[in-house]
Amino acid sequence: MTDTPQVLFKNRRPGETAFLAEYQRSGGYEGLRKAVKMTPAEVRETVKESGLRGRGGAGFPTGLKWTFFPADQLGEKYLVCNGDEMEPGTYKDRELLLADPHQLIEGMLVAAYALQTPVAYVFIRYAYERCAQNLERAIAEARQAGFLGRDILGSGFACEIFVHRSAGRYICGEETALLNALEGLRANPRSKPPFPAVRGLFGKPTTVNNVETLANVQHIIAHGADWFRGLARTESGAGTKLYGLSGHLNQTPCLEAPIGITLRELIQEHGGGVWQGRKMKACLPGGASTPFMTAGQLDVPMDFDTIEKAGSRFGTGGVTVFDETTCMVEATLNLNNFFARESCGWCTPCRDGLPFVSWLLRQIETGKATMDDLQTLRDQLRNITGTSFCALAQGAVGPIESLLRLFGDEVEDHIKRGRCPLKS
Amino acid sequence: MVNLTIDGKQVTVSKAATIYEAALEAGIHIPVLCYAKKLLPYGACRVCLVEVEQMKGRLIPSCTTPVTQGMVVTTTSAEINKVRKTVLEFLLVNHVVECPVCDKGGECDLQDLTFEHEVYPNRFTGEKFALPTDEVNPLIERNMNRCVLCGKCARVCDEIVAFGSYSFINRGFESKIATAFDRGLNCEFCGQCVSMCPVGAILPRPFKFKARPWQLKEVDSVCGYCGNGCTVTLGVLKDKVETIRFNDKTGVNDGNLCIRGRFGYSYVNSEDRLTKPLVRKDGKLVQTDWKEALDTVVSGFAKARAEKGVGIVTGARLTNEELFLLKNLAKAMGTGNLDHSGGESYKGVTEGLFETLGVTASTATFPQVEECDTILSIRSDFYETHPVFGMVVNQAVKRHDAHLIVIADKRGKFGKLPHAETLLAKPGLEVNILNAMAQSLLADGLAITDGVEGVVELQAALADYTPELVAAQTGVPAAAIRAAAQQLAKAKKSAILLAYGLPYTAHSRELGIAAANLAILTGIPGREGSGLYLCGEKANSQGAIDLQIVPGKEALDSQSMFQAAAAGTLSALYIVGEDPLTSYPDRKKIETALDKVPFLVVQDIFLSPTAQQADVVLPAASFAEKDGTFTNAERRLQRVRQGIPLPGEAKTDYAIFELLAGRFGKQVSFTGPEAVFSQIAASTPGYGGIEYGAIGPQGVVWGGDLLAVKRRKVVAVAGGKPVETPYQLITGSSLYHNGTVSTRATGPLAVIPSPFVELGREDASTLQVKEGDLLTLRANGVEIKLAAKIDTRMPKGVLFAPYHFSSAGLNRIFTGQAAVPVEVSK
Ligand SMILES: Cc1cc2nc3c(=O)[nH]c(=O)nc-3n(C[C@H](O)[C@H](O)[C@H](O)COP(=O)(O)O)c2cc1C
Ligand code: SF4
Ligand code: SF4
Ligand code: SF4
Ligand code: SF4
Ligand code: FES
Repeated sequence: MTDTPQVLFKNRRPGETAFLAEYQRSGGYEGLRKAVKMTPAEVRETVKESGLRGRGGAGFPTGLKWTFFPADQLGEKYLVCNGDEMEPGTYKDRELLLADPHQLIEGMLVAAYALQTPVAYVFIRYAYERCAQNLERAIAEARQAGFLGRDILGSGFACEIFVHRSAGRYICGEETALLNALEGLRANPRSKPPFPAVRGLFGKPTTVNNVETLANVQHIIAHGADWFRGLARTESGAGTKLYGLSGHLNQTPCLEAPIGITLRELIQEHGGGVWQGRKMKACLPGGASTPFMTAGQLDVPMDFDTIEKAGSRFGTGGVTVFDETTCMVEATLNLNNFFARESCGWCTPCRDGLPFVSWLLRQIETGKATMDDLQTLRDQLRNITGTSFCALAQGAVGPIESLLRLFGDEVEDHIKRGRCPLKS
Repeated sequence: MVNLTIDGKQVTVSKAATIYEAALEAGIHIPVLCYAKKLLPYGACRVCLVEVEQMKGRLIPSCTTPVTQGMVVTTTSAEINKVRKTVLEFLLVNHVVECPVCDKGGECDLQDLTFEHEVYPNRFTGEKFALPTDEVNPLIERNMNRCVLCGKCARVCDEIVAFGSYSFINRGFESKIATAFDRGLNCEFCGQCVSMCPVGAILPRPFKFKARPWQLKEVDSVCGYCGNGCTVTLGVLKDKVETIRFNDKTGVNDGNLCIRGRFGYSYVNSEDRLTKPLVRKDGKLVQTDWKEALDTVVSGFAKARAEKGVGIVTGARLTNEELFLLKNLAKAMGTGNLDHSGGESYKGVTEGLFETLGVTASTATFPQVEECDTILSIRSDFYETHPVFGMVVNQAVKRHDAHLIVIADKRGKFGKLPHAETLLAKPGLEVNILNAMAQSLLADGLAITDGVEGVVELQAALADYTPELVAAQTGVPAAAIRAAAQQLAKAKKSAILLAYGLPYTAHSRELGIAAANLAILTGIPGREGSGLYLCGEKANSQGAIDLQIVPGKEALDSQSMFQAAAAGTLSALYIVGEDPLTSYPDRKKIETALDKVPFLVVQDIFLSPTAQQADVVLPAASFAEKDGTFTNAERRLQRVRQGIPLPGEAKTDYAIFELLAGRFGKQVSFTGPEAVFSQIAASTPGYGGIEYGAIGPQGVVWGGDLLAVKRRKVVAVAGGKPVETPYQLITGSSLYHNGTVSTRATGPLAVIPSPFVELGREDASTLQVKEGDLLTLRANGVEIKLAAKIDTRMPKGVLFAPYHFSSAGLNRIFTGQAAVPVEVSK
């Protein structure tokens, strides 16, 4: 199906889940075996050299994040895996956990060893019950095999992994809100500083990483940092990436491909092109909180820096495509309604600002807006940008900002005609 | 220290400061809405955003962002103002603007900010909320349509009060503050949330439509209830105390109060106050003028003096100056029979402390407890006796992970704090547990014994108090006793808290000594940040001890005076500011004494049951009507200030004592409290050098933050014996009341309107009683009836009844025991 090396999806078969036997057959737990013979600092250093960047949306270099963590300090500390995955258009973690749960378990064990955390949690979205069960079975198998629990592989290192089913809301994916939710509190984000590495879960040092991020770790240890960098097609990038396609395409698979693959390849080859023979109008390159890209940007390589240069964000790698008949105002309104609904209600610009933005977009879409309203909308975006408590509101602004930047004429058309120009 | 630039101004502040605090210190005003000095950083409203040159691209919340070296901050610019204004516009979209009828008008942060930023007209419109208001309880009204979601109510109730009434519910735009299941408020009613709400969303009901804030005269004074000695600010309108104002800037309690301090003021304005002297004529108390009243008092006392003598019993709600004058008066009258607070309540504990440490007061101050790593609370959950001190403990536990151990005979609020441990003992056995803790420290070599007298003797005497033996007596596991002792021994900063008061008279000396032993053996006295806290029940309990309002040599103490009166060997009693008939143990004895004593003078603010028995009743002043000083349970002297005039012809105790002293030939002509205070300072150990005029908003702690102890001597004391009957009754304070006067205050009464007896679920089902059923309690052939209150606090076989209510007649069966064996039936 594809000529790129399959790292995370190598055991993926339609409708099946790979458990321990199969996982080990393809080299599973070699990374862990190797890791426990290294010092934790060496493991961290290797991850840092590998250039792995967070797959949860923000793309923060994982190795660098780990340097903030007091791994060598004794006492309680935690590793938490973020499996909340509720951003519209993102479903890669689910596919990974449905296919091969040991990928995450081994990755977490290596990370836990590197960070010296005796306890790790997987925080998983309530709707991912199958994934949670897969993980629980994988944990049981790993314990049986001596990969998890006390004295892992004779190294003296002990680690327990617990699966926590979240009550589930988009804000629970924000790492500090996640920690609150994990503690049984209301899922509001926390003030930073202090950062989780200093005061995280139960007030103790904590590192939060995405499912896919952690699943890469043992492969980096098994095959080396250079190998990992070599997987990417861009100079600065590293590794492969899980891309989840959705929207107006002929096919919407989730696939593993190198960092640096172009949007065109993803859409044409893996998505089978835009449906019904239509043209593409825009896409969200990395989930609902990333600014739109247009058909003119199809040759941009899918990597953090390259997409950022193109005015958007790589995000989670969930690509949503909109065909030429889409009203971009309506699409954006739909996205913003999601963010307004999912706002935790903590800070004023997001709680009260986003519903107001939705109201303005609705006015535009229904042809009731004036040019003054458009000005107010621009103004609002400025007022919400860089003023909110957490990144949710920031993410909400992305698509709207790009709507005004890329589809300004279409927006003004709504106002001038007093109706949606794309609907007859 | 960190240097930074704010609006071009060089500022040097501590590195723990936030940008907002740094600006405040530099006199630069940044508007805030969700920020509160005493709460943890929150950062939700986004009104306080500023620009930081090193953090370009976004605006920085000044209330949560710590300063860093070299930071360059701009607090106002066109951009910042616009964002602030937008935040306000948003808040005003849904906020129901009801300023004309909102009590908060004039001191509402939203109103002020709207004005300051000229938010008019609002560019945005939207639906107003139409949520129902919560007016279920008589004290606090909640109107969530006015809420700006700053979270302060939920935060204060969680972080400081540790009650946790509120939480946000729903998401996004629908977010709102709610109680559990969104029902009516049902809590401690301390009113902290009222004081923190920046808008009119949570308001005190008793103050509704009473006044605009600017019409009120504010008078800083001290709460007249308990020994916590909280600063209160009286809100006075037309010679009435209409409310207690929120003030976190003066005083020592950060504006925290309990229900009594916040809502218990109404008795001051009561119609039932005594306004004229009364004398008994033809068996009836009738109104008279001061001349006749004083003449009667003077001739009555003169006669009594010539016969079998006069006895004086006072309460501890008088100011230091008044107590001093009373002592002088006693001298003038030639009697040494002088005592306060029923004698027993303070006597044992202070003797105990004196024997061991050579002091009779707390050795450190309240705020230090917040930093302690281990806290041991004995007998009382401090919420019932000293709620605001209890809030300091909350913060120690919740913010600084302090380890809290409670030795008590019933479960309380402390026990619910994170990681808190209640060593739940059978009643009356606290000393046994303290002994066992001391025993285990000595046996395990963990005790500090250098320079300590009496160690060998103590160790020998404690042979019967191994944790195992005591576990068998008390029901507290030996391992828990050992662990508690070790916890205390290894703490760097620790506190032992011991409350005393009228309902806690048993084993008083033993308890004082056992607590002091433990303090000595764990190195508490004299160690920075650590303390043994002796907490008196009344506003000036400590002052009464410091001023030695105690019997003279060979003279009668309180108990003996009542005994003598009952036996016909005392000719007159002068009872000031106390209602012994209601609140002293053994009502029968008091009744007989009051009945038998030939001449009884009662000086009070109400016609209490005791006053009703008097020959002469002198109308006195409440705390709101006088000037002077109180000394609280941490030895802090604070100024009490007159806020309102005296009702009718009532006089202050000060004036009455002066008049009487004159009549007894000791003409004292002090010009006022200040002059008296200088005499007190000159004659009271520890008070030397303190000047009345220099007692500022923080008060003055005599003896300093760390009181030097005179000796370290451990003394063996015997523990209690368990009561073996199936049911036993204990008494004490209930959270909402203090003494008897709170039973005349609408606030506390709104929550606890009448006496009750509390029992556990298991006992309730054995006895087949339901909430509110009348229970008959029988002891020593006497029977009383009380309404049942059923909950999970009481261990099996133990019942609790608070002592404040006269009608309950609790002191008919409570005669001072640690636990009263009772028969219980429906
Ligand atoms: C509103 C919001 C939702 C988020 N949801 C998720 C999520 O579902 N899964 C995830 O891995 N990261 C999510 N993130 C990012 C996390 O906060 C965090 O950056 C991430 O878990 C770090 O892991 P990484 O460094 O491995 O990517 C979210 C962030 C925000 C602001
Ligand atoms: S930005 Fe939105 S989600 Fe984040 S804290 Fe503010 S209200 Fe909550
Ligand atoms: S009155 Fe006190 S206990 Fe009740 S909700 Fe307010 S802060 Fe909490
Ligand atoms: S009720 Fe008052 S204190 Fe509570 S969140 Fe609303 S505005 Fe703030
Ligand atoms: S009763 Fe005590 S704790 Fe309550 S406000 Fe008054 S002094 Fe403070
Ligand atoms: S005061 Fe700083 S965010 Fe509210």
